[in-house]
Amino acid sequence: MVEGLKQGDEAAFKTIVETWQNMVYNTALGIVQNQEDAEDIAQEVFVQVYQSINSFKGESKFSTWLYRITVTKSLDHERKKKRKKRFAFVRSLFGEQNEVLINPPDFNHPGVTLDNKENAAVLFKAISELPENQRLAFTLNKVEGLSYQEVSEVMDTTVSSVESLMHRAKNNLRKKLEDHYNKGK
Amino acid sequence: MSRQTDTGKKITDALESLEGIQRAEPAPWFFTRVKAKLERERHNIWETTGSYMARPAIAIAGLLFILCINAFIVFQKDTTDPIPSYAVQNTDEEIVLTASNTSFSYDYENIEP
Repeated sequence: MVEGLKQGDEAAFKTIVETWQNMVYNTALGIVQNQEDAEDIAQEVFVQVYQSINSFKGESKFSTWLYRITVTKSLDHERKKKRKKRFAFVRSLFGEQNEVLINPPDFNHPGVTLDNKENAAVLFKAISELPENQRLAFTLNKVEGLSYQEVSEVMDTTVSSVESLMHRAKNNLRKKLEDHYNKGK
Repeated sequence: MSRQTDTGKKITDALESLEGIQRAEPAPWFFTRVKAKLERERHNIWETTGSYMARPAIAIAGLLFILCINAFIVFQKDTTDPIPSYAVQNTDEEIVLTASNTSFSYDYENIEP
């Protein structure tokens, strides 16, 4: 498949897209928590795969390479979004309120079971407030179902670092969830 | 006490809410949209060129190249032999002599009206 794509074979590219589209889309969705944005990012990922397939040397698994591209583009998207929010906030301090900032509704992941939807929405909100690395490790492990070993390969770090990130992520999530549920009382 | 237990249970439920989560799938005809996006990018030559030139390595290499050419021109100018000072010192006498020794001659006798 990969060799075929390197030769410019469109059928090979189609096979690659169809084989990996769910993985790429789901990973992006878990990070950006918006279906439209995840779709855009997934498209960009495959465009980049097509354009830079020759840079894939096979030193890592193809899936690992694909995960890394997806994660990079998703995190870039999140950073851009944060910058926009910060800029809009600063502008609002100066009385420029051209852009109405609407708080996005709670994110509902389509793959969550029905009886867990409400709790999952609260959890995703808390995940979105985690530091980047913790958020990434937690999402790859819980949303994509990757093992700590696989997460470490994607994040290019050690398994013990991933364990530490997960431990801190869970502690932070507990605190945020506690605040959320206590506020609601 | 029971409130704390209640909150604790909610927190645990929330943390476990992603158990059994299924992978989300993109909308149908995803490959068609990817192909269309590729085509749009292919036609956008300027954007591609710009993004290529904006790469730090390319931009720095280009800048260094221009600086090297500039330095080459400047140093080449400095190292060419300067005209000796005695050769450029034209006295008024030499200028007059030079003027009278010019190759063309003005025929005073055969001037046509």
